[in-house]
Amino acid sequence: MKKSCIAMLLAGGQGSRLYALTQDVAKPNMPFGGKYRIIDFPLSNCANSGIDTVGVLTQYRPLQLNSYIGGGQPWDLDSTDGGVFILPPYQTAGEAGSWFSGTANAIYQNISFIEMYDPDNVLILSGDHIYKMDYSKMLREHIEKDAACTIAVLQVSMEDATRFGIMNVGADGYVSEFEEKPKQPKSDLASMGIYIFNWKKLRKYLIEDENDPNSSKDFGKNIIPNMLNAGEKLWPYRFDGYWRDVGTITSLWDANMDMLSTTLINLFDPSWPIRSRSIPRPPHYVGEDAKVVHSIVTEGCVIEGEVENSVLSSSAKVGKGAKVLYSVLMPGAVVEDNAVVEYSILGENTVVKSGAHVGAPPDGSDAWGVATCGPNIEIRQGAEVPAGAMIYKSEEV
Amino acid sequence: MSDFHGIIFAYGSVPELGELVRNRTASSLPFCGRYRLIDFALSSLMNAGIHDVGVIMQRDYQSLLDHLGSGKDWDMGRRLGGLRMLPPFGLPEYHQGDYTGTIEALNAVSTYIRGLSAKYIVMLHGNTAANLDLRAAIEQHLRSGAEITAICTESTPDYRHHRYIADPDGFARRIVFNQTEAGEGVASLEAYIISKDLLVGMMDACAANSHYHFHRDAIAEYLAAGGKINVYLHRGYGKRIMNTEAYFRTGMDMLRPENRAELFPPERPVRSKSHADVSTYYGENSVCRNSLVADGCLIEGEVENCVLFSDVRVSRGAKLKNCILMRGCVVGEGVILNNVIADKEVGVSPYQTLMGSAKLPIVIPKKSKI
Repeated sequence: MKKSCIAMLLAGGQGSRLYALTQDVAKPNMPFGGKYRIIDFPLSNCANSGIDTVGVLTQYRPLQLNSYIGGGQPWDLDSTDGGVFILPPYQTAGEAGSWFSGTANAIYQNISFIEMYDPDNVLILSGDHIYKMDYSKMLREHIEKDAACTIAVLQVSMEDATRFGIMNVGADGYVSEFEEKPKQPKSDLASMGIYIFNWKKLRKYLIEDENDPNSSKDFGKNIIPNMLNAGEKLWPYRFDGYWRDVGTITSLWDANMDMLSTTLINLFDPSWPIRSRSIPRPPHYVGEDAKVVHSIVTEGCVIEGEVENSVLSSSAKVGKGAKVLYSVLMPGAVVEDNAVVEYSILGENTVVKSGAHVGAPPDGSDAWGVATCGPNIEIRQGAEVPAGAMIYKSEEV
Repeated sequence: MSDFHGIIFAYGSVPELGELVRNRTASSLPFCGRYRLIDFALSSLMNAGIHDVGVIMQRDYQSLLDHLGSGKDWDMGRRLGGLRMLPPFGLPEYHQGDYTGTIEALNAVSTYIRGLSAKYIVMLHGNTAANLDLRAAIEQHLRSGAEITAICTESTPDYRHHRYIADPDGFARRIVFNQTEAGEGVASLEAYIISKDLLVGMMDACAANSHYHFHRDAIAEYLAAGGKINVYLHRGYGKRIMNTEAYFRTGMDMLRPENRAELFPPERPVRSKSHADVSTYYGENSVCRNSLVADGCLIEGEVENCVLFSDVRVSRGAKLKNCILMRGCVVGEGVILNNVIADKEVGVSPYQTLMGSAKLPIVIPKKSKI
């Protein structure tokens, strides 16, 4: 069935800068903001924007991500003439088959999937961004401006501009130049890594790029510059809401803390729900002597101690006399009696035994950082895990 | 497990629940912060691998239908079998009020019951707060060789109930009706495992004699004719909710960890329809003690000994003690509520005070604004 626009969601990256947290799972499957996984944001945005066909490109540790997405029911992406499709790399007759070697190559390898829907346009999304965005508005602008490619851009400060791909805009409003992490930025419009392409044009550029042995097969590095050089019309779509890339420990922790502010991003807005798959658990219980202040708490949690400025995912437990401050507890994480967890991220089902101390408040030094404990590990009784530590295994402590 | 078919009785309106059942049946009463009572019957069946279930309903069942949907939340949205809604079909014109008894309810859907290929029927009441281990009960039923197993509880219900008196061999040959206190025997939870053929025979015999009651008529007759009933004892929490005070007390029971452990054992999870799309947020000045709070709440005030369903707002300076607030309630600034049950989407404007008592909690009807 012909579609005006389908989405391709790049979810194959390892998320190597999340270290212990992504040793067993892909980054898009990372729990976030209490009830969610990171991929809930782009999937919900698609569903809320009326995009009913989403290809999810997976490669690194896809098992949990595949089972999380399943048939797409939680996002109402289980329609008969569309839906959500997991697209791993595959072999074809007579060819060896290969891993996705770049973002553009991942789409190139799935040209036949896209052609099944004969779309006019293709929306390219990342699986590691936290934001609420109505793609239908972007699509409307893309069509109005008759662009070959529309790139979502965010206004950033000039200092931050050196960390992003920056779009310079000509007098006609179209993109005139693209610079990756410029030392001296000429504009403050940063690419958000969200693109809508005219499919016929993109198809042509993907095939050309695939045949270029020197290409790194990347949208930002190759496809966009090639289109600009060829004189195609590239339109910047200005987005002014909350948007965070959560590719590092610090940015993941920061973005979780952002969820404690109801003004940065409103997750309570019924007109734009971020949906997630979750197994119903009993309501969370807050005990007689517990204290919960300025925090997010999810179903199945049991809190007997003190929780402040923290994000608790489902079924996290905080024992009597324990303190959880400025921390992120992923599903099933346990902080036993009298343990302290501060400025830390605890992976899924990780247990901090009684009396242990994880993390420390910022001391102003450059060495300071958020302490991170990977999933399914045990921090032994009375252990000390310093600020900035990265724990992969129980034996390390 | 295709030999077993579940039947849930969800027709009872239980007038003693007053305002709480004005727009719903007792089975669809919201319970324990995120559930409806019928979730326990559905989950008990699901956890025993029984996916073919009929729900008998009679009136005021919109909220029940909305909650059940296709049954997929209990893995009962099946292409073959699955969940079937059984509303009345051609009730006689003179019929007013609830079905007179369980047998009348079964006879109202007799075509459905007769058409079942299952050998055994598991019958449950939808207003029972109990997580039954039906796998164990079925095993005991099959081993006993009896045609009927009555699921009973050792605890004494606080409403009129029937008691089975078991002989040393574990079979009951006597039943005493309408008890209100502890006494001889064990209290029936009115949950049964019964051979389909026997049940259909009972339905026919009752229809021929204009009898309507399962216990008073069918069971009494079965025992009088020398029948014996296997008794299965459910040892965990088990209560049928028969009036407003019991609803309040049972709700408050959930604040005790031992009761939650019995109702929500990890090996037999309770499934429900899910509503909230967001976790609960506690503000800078919030205080929360000994309370159960579902997802989607915004709490800025003080909450003590309360059960809050999803999407409840408690504004700054509000003080809630011993309250049950259903989904979507909004409590304004400085409000004081004690011993209050607020039905869904109740709004309480700033600086109001409402004080009920444990014996007589104040019930605020659905969607009212105070």
